[in-house]
Amino acid sequence: MLERVLIAGSGGQGVILAGRIVASAAMRSVPHVTFFPSYGAEVRGGTSNCQTVLSTDEIHSPLPSRVDSMIVMNQPSMERYRKMLVRGGLMIENSTLCGRPPGATAAISVPATEMAEYLGSIRAANMILLGVYLRRKKLIPVEDVESEIRSAFVGKDDSLLKINIEAFHAGLAYDRSP
Amino acid sequence: MTGNDAIAEAAIRAGCDAYYGYPITPQNEIANYMARHMPARGRVFIQAESELAAINMVFGTAVAGRRAMTSSSSPGVSLKQEGISYLAGAELPAVIVNVQRGGPGLGNIAPSQSDYFQAVKGGGHGDYHQIVLAPHSVQEMYDLTALAFDLADRYRNPVMVLSDGRLGQMMEPVTLHEVRSRPPPKPWALTGARGRKPNLIRSLLLGEGELERHNLRLQRKYARISRSEQRWEERNARNCDVLIVAYGTCARIAKGCAAAAADFGLKAGLFRPISLWPFPYRPMRRAASSAKCVLVVEMSAGQMLEDVRLAVAGMAPVFFLGRMGGGVPEEGEVLRRLRALAKTTRRRSHGAE
Amino acid sequence: MKTVLYKRPKSLTSVPTHYCPGCGHGIVHRLIAEVVDELGIRERTIGIAPVGCAVLAYFYFNFDVTEAAHGRCAAVATGIKRVLPDRIVFSYQGDGDLAAIGLAETIHAANRGENITVVFVNNTVYGMTGGQMAPTTLVGQKTSTSPDGRDAPTMGPPLRMCELLNTLPSPYHIERVALDGPAGVRKARNALMKAFRAQLENKGYSFVEILASCPTHQRLSPAQALKFVGGEMAAQFPVRVFREEGKAVNA
Repeated sequence: MLERVLIAGSGGQGVILAGRIVASAAMRSVPHVTFFPSYGAEVRGGTSNCQTVLSTDEIHSPLPSRVDSMIVMNQPSMERYRKMLVRGGLMIENSTLCGRPPGATAAISVPATEMAEYLGSIRAANMILLGVYLRRKKLIPVEDVESEIRSAFVGKDDSLLKINIEAFHAGLAYDRSP
Repeated sequence: MTGNDAIAEAAIRAGCDAYYGYPITPQNEIANYMARHMPARGRVFIQAESELAAINMVFGTAVAGRRAMTSSSSPGVSLKQEGISYLAGAELPAVIVNVQRGGPGLGNIAPSQSDYFQAVKGGGHGDYHQIVLAPHSVQEMYDLTALAFDLADRYRNPVMVLSDGRLGQMMEPVTLHEVRSRPPPKPWALTGARGRKPNLIRSLLLGEGELERHNLRLQRKYARISRSEQRWEERNARNCDVLIVAYGTCARIAKGCAAAAADFGLKAGLFRPISLWPFPYRPMRRAASSAKCVLVVEMSAGQMLEDVRLAVAGMAPVFFLGRMGGGVPEEGEVLRRLRALAKTTRRRSHGAE
Repeated sequence: MKTVLYKRPKSLTSVPTHYCPGCGHGIVHRLIAEVVDELGIRERTIGIAPVGCAVLAYFYFNFDVTEAAHGRCAAVATGIKRVLPDRIVFSYQGDGDLAAIGLAETIHAANRGENITVVFVNNTVYGMTGGQMAPTTLVGQKTSTSPDGRDAPTMGPPLRMCELLNTLPSPYHIERVALDGPAGVRKARNALMKAFRAQLENKGYSFVEILASCPTHQRLSPAQALKFVGGEMAAQFPVRVFREEGKAVNA
């Protein structure tokens, strides 16, 4: 089993957090996991992306040049990274901020930012997309992921955690095939 | 855990008494980790006013007979060179971590391997060596940092852990092995001359012939280290078409390519130095002697390449694939190079000479 | 009849800045540009950019700018001004650059009375590298390397740069201002004008410390950060003129 997933968006969208949650959860059950965040030097704005690799065998490159799944949160990231997706790979796009990629492989369009706003915080859009991804790629137990989400919000407002868990479940339940 | 965090955790478990650092990307996580964990354990954490101050604080703690570590990235490590020379000259144990980034000058924050010369050939002034260990995984960041403290005390010498921005940021599972955290006795340390003759720590030796004798002693020490502390990893290194030589991040990429090369009928082996100083010259020559050619992959303009050429000593042709300024070799480009080399070497061995 | 109420100063490029919402750097850049424009010195001005969030300042200024190694702006400025005395040379530095790694260079350039202008943006944190403690971090302030708050007994109290430089005989103008609102911004502009003018008239070393917000690493909203600047920061770093026309000014 080899699953390479790229998550990309703008700084501030919680891209790195989402990737780290996937990696930490996966470490409990997958033999080899690597996680690699990439930041621009600017503290805000700019692009943000991370790659998580899950494998039954030793992982040679934590930054593969092609990925099997991609979660894209804004248009500039879509344009920049879509060529990295292998043929037939899984593309999940945040349709609130992404235009339809021309001639794309079947993408799952999720109006994540709108949904997150409705739930109470646009910053929870990343959790929605995480849920959508895990429903399609059942590689990690959902309970492990939820546990990692809880750890990430330790020491923060309870209401924030509630919104993010709700967002995660909303993503898991999201059922709109292309 | 991330590579940077693994370094910090290993240092703590190895009984590092003091950590001195200064912010510089991409190794800030080390200082942040130490800031969170050292004071709680009653150990010293100081964010110094500069990298120069930090290495001198390390010098001080080493003089006092305790374990100290500092970390930085390329431009900051440049500032530490004077301090490292002093540590070597005064024969003091210390651990210095360099998470390499693109250079020269301010460069960028992307990974690089362009500080090899600085680490291995000197960097500071005078005839000295620091032991240089090069991890290629988060597990090795942990293991080799713990080893660094051990070697530093065993030989009374500075030891450098040479990493890069990618390994530092990468997250992988780590097994936190038991680490020996009790250093050997240090009767030479400055702890106050109660009940003994006063100790002196210095590197200034003005007497007739004194400094040369000291240098000869240091050279004998370095010879001992060379005999006992060479470390490397070999994979399918006998009778291969191409022997890839790489360390750190490039070694990981090389492993993937060596495996993929089998798909097009190429037998690619890997020789991965783990100690860059002492450099495993003889083992590398042995491996190269049965290879059709050698390919060095480095994120530099060709620094370790020179030592590989010395090691191989004409036994096989040595080729080079390098990326600079923060560029990282991609699997695709390494594979293309391997394919091209496979063609040339087959032609050669079919009597085209 | 059309009246132009406000436009971008000539000394500022049209490149959008990368600074966070509520950051003080954007304001200081603009004030410097306005002063340089008003004094008509754009083509004689040479700036030295720091290592810090303002490392890319050279994209925003429409005049000659050089980089310097972290902390060495004052030395680089000295090197330029000594051989080109008729140019207007200023350094732009943050907390780490000026008061930590560059402290020696800062003090010695001031002590030599170099005829340069030093602009010190004090926001109590290291921004670019992720919010570490700075020499100016307040006691009790939480940063990534003072996670439980700055502890004076082990980390020392914050450094007051204006006061430190004021012990030296040579500096001509030393002033501290705060970007805590429109009045503060106007005061900052006046201070910068006096500083640049002092250099223009060959009067000697001028130093302007500008208290500024960094909402991201001060861990406040932009509005709260403004209050922090005018409140807690100004309490630790008094806003006033320390040296004017070469003479000490009492508090």
